[in-house]
Amino acid sequence: MEYRGAPQATLVDLLDRVLERGLVLDADIVICLAGVPLIGLRLRAALAGMETMTKYGLMQDWDREVRAGAQSLQKGAALLAGQAVQPGLH
Amino acid sequence: MMEDRSQGQVQEQARPEGAGGEAGLYVYCIGPALGGGCCGVTGIEGREVDAVVHRGLSALVHPCPVQPYQTANLEVTASWVQAHHRVVEAAWKQWGTVLPLSFNTIIRPEGGLSAADALRMWLEHEEGALQAKLDALRGKAEYSFQVFWDPVVIGRQVAEASPDVKRLEEEVQSKPRGLAYMYRQRLEKLLREGMEARAAQECRELYGRVARCAERVHVSRPKEGQEGQVMLLNLSCLVSTGMVAALEAEADGLSGREGFSVRFVGPFPPYSFC
Repeated sequence: MEYRGAPQATLVDLLDRVLERGLVLDADIVICLAGVPLIGLRLRAALAGMETMTKYGLMQDWDREVRAGAQSLQKGAALLAGQAVQPGLH
Repeated sequence: MMEDRSQGQVQEQARPEGAGGEAGLYVYCIGPALGGGCCGVTGIEGREVDAVVHRGLSALVHPCPVQPYQTANLEVTASWVQAHHRVVEAAWKQWGTVLPLSFNTIIRPEGGLSAADALRMWLEHEEGALQAKLDALRGKAEYSFQVFWDPVVIGRQVAEASPDVKRLEEEVQSKPRGLAYMYRQRLEKLLREGMEARAAQECRELYGRVARCAERVHVSRPKEGQEGQVMLLNLSCLVSTGMVAALEAEADGLSGREGFSVRFVGPFPPYSFC
């Protein structure tokens, strides 16, 4: 029943959607090129600097997810590469 | 470390307003032109949100320099993204349907037209397609449906259900060290294959169950899970109001299964379906 305890959208839910989805206005009146989420790219580069931010209590949810992910991968969860479960769904 | 951060912030603020002043328009979303103001929320960095209206459509915007929002500072990014979302969500609630634009969609003046006029021209050109999309999204919302499993629990289930694994497990006990190592390798391979097959089967079944409750399903690559959990499925679902309870029941049922958990979050404006 995990979702009952965590029904709130997290920042990561929003980042996934606001940065990577949404209508791409594909016209030359737009300064950002279609399909190039500038900020998304910059974000990934910024992940390295996250240690500093969490010291001040910022972005902890984000950090927890990223770290827990790294740990669970190490813990033999590598049994399941993300790719292996994808075929057949698209 | 602290200095690094404050330096970063100083750089953030220094978004030059020189070239062209604020000749650009940051666009949050498009919706039906209903009047009734701009949803009463402020936009990115507290900017006031305006509506650019053309015939049956309106776009929520704020004037900005002709350059993208960029930062290496996560705190600043978070506040921008939340502000973008706040405007889109308020519009969605007011209009009942909305097309959220991707973050950093900025219109520039074009061929002697102001950014606002260029946007109106685009709205006119795309009117039919935009109206059709808005109509199709009315009365529907996006939900995130993420399925996790515990590889330890599932691994045990797979092992218990497999006669081959059971046999190897017994044999490995009685083998001398060198041979036992080889047996263990075979055992791991067998288990891995068993879990992959189980994952593929679960994903197919679960996807089918979710898809029956949704108008459309967007499949994303699974992310890393938390606390030893592995994400099996990362779905965004476009769901009609009347089907939300059915999808929630699927989440409920799945969470009751040993080794599985579900994170069911929403509603979101239809970011993944426009």
